[in-house]
Amino acid sequence: MTTEARHPHLLKPTNPPIIVGHRCISCEQIAFPPDPYGCEKCGSPASNFESWDLEARGSVRAVAMVYRHHRPTPPTPFTVAVIDLVGGPVVKAIVEGDDAAVGSSVEGFLVPEDQDDVGNVIVDLRFRVIQ
Amino acid sequence: MNAPGFLSTRPVFVVGIGLHRYQRRSDETYVSLGLTAVREALVDAGVDWTDIDAAYTGTALLGMGASRIMLSRLGATGIPMTQVENASASGSSSVAQACLEVASGRSDVVVALGVDKPRGGLGAAPGEAGIANLEAGSIVPFTHFALLASEYMHLHAVTDEQVAKVAVKNHRNGSQNPFAQRQKIRTLDEVLAEPISGSLTRLQCCPVGEGAAAVIIASEDGINRLGVDRSRAMQVVASATKTEGLYAEGVGIDAALTAETGAAAFHEAGLGPSDLDVLEVHDAFAIEELLYAEALGLCKPGEAASRIESGDFDIGGSCAFSPSGGLLAMGHPIGPTGVGQVVEVVRQLRNEAGSRQQPNARVGMAHMVGIGAVCVVHILRKP
Repeated sequence: MTTEARHPHLLKPTNPPIIVGHRCISCEQIAFPPDPYGCEKCGSPASNFESWDLEARGSVRAVAMVYRHHRPTPPTPFTVAVIDLVGGPVVKAIVEGDDAAVGSSVEGFLVPEDQDDVGNVIVDLRFRVIQ
Repeated sequence: MNAPGFLSTRPVFVVGIGLHRYQRRSDETYVSLGLTAVREALVDAGVDWTDIDAAYTGTALLGMGASRIMLSRLGATGIPMTQVENASASGSSSVAQACLEVASGRSDVVVALGVDKPRGGLGAAPGEAGIANLEAGSIVPFTHFALLASEYMHLHAVTDEQVAKVAVKNHRNGSQNPFAQRQKIRTLDEVLAEPISGSLTRLQCCPVGEGAAAVIIASEDGINRLGVDRSRAMQVVASATKTEGLYAEGVGIDAALTAETGAAAFHEAGLGPSDLDVLEVHDAFAIEELLYAEALGLCKPGEAASRIESGDFDIGGSCAFSPSGGLLAMGHPIGPTGVGQVVEVVRQLRNEAGSRQQPNARVGMAHMVGIGAVCVVHILRKP
């Protein structure tokens, strides 16, 4: 049995987890999510990109508790946040708990979401406030 | 004086306006919705369908081939018909295309309409682009704007109640508009009830229903040839369209894009924010009116909430914001919305808006943003 990320091209299921972005070799733009097509800054094709690891750590720029959702998962209410990663890019993600506020320091952690046919654990990324 | 632009090369005017009331999805076909709006616009302009040189149909949800089966029921004249899709700004872009068609000299009288019916989901292409993200579907449009509200309220020390007052104002305006989907005055307590996401509540989110809107765009040659009443013809002095550029990490794209597009429109018109008497703004969610008031230069950053509270953006204030009720109360049936904004601006500039008339309105703006992100801005002026 292994642990696998639900979106392996976005997330390395290590401890601590790593968010995967890209860096354009031509213009040095670092971006998330990793793009399969080309660079929004300089127009280089994605063949000019290198994978770029980003620490799953940052501060909350904005936060909202979601009360209504069109799908059964995640169950409501849940909290989402805009997070300024320490490595530059800004991501939006689900934050566990109800204590996140603008300015909170947060870190990523893995949560088991599912299991595949051969028993591998599928994990996804959540953030939580660092006390 | 206008800055050089295609609309100053050959002036264009809105000479006719028509609407089908925005409403919840019903059994009425889109053909019936659209024909109602176009017939009303023809009567309003005092022109016949056979006078129309071309048609642009703004729609995002109907699917391909919507125009002819609808418009041929006014007479199968064989005119060019083009369907325009630009997300929430589809109707705005049909107006832009009609203006360009007339300004270019190819046509003298063109109809731009918007028509849509909800079909269960928006079917937006970006979701099919193969670019996954961490939030994996947990952030839908209302949560995107709830997050912008969170950042704005923290940055400017603005309260939930202050944001909600945008919706109180726009529901009040909508209560005076017989074409609005929502026509009820709402108290602050009512607006603050029923949370959806973050500080946004049900009545701070626009209803997406069905409807239609149409405008007839004409050149001076067309006006003279058809004997159109010049006193009711309002000039389009700017038509600006932009898409999202590459902004600094974390910058709110909707406001940044609005600032750029608004600046382009003001430049083309040779006008500035203080010239606006009426502004129909993309207030799909209450927070947006505050963001765009500031992005368009109607007030300084952080001031919009207090300007709303002072009544400055009410009908009768320095600039009436969303006198139609805006997307929040008039509704957001997608394709019609941007055309309906132009209808309202024209009605205001003609001094025909009745109980929701902004006194002495001479200059008005219609502003839409859409998924993509796109932004389309028109400025109209009483000649």
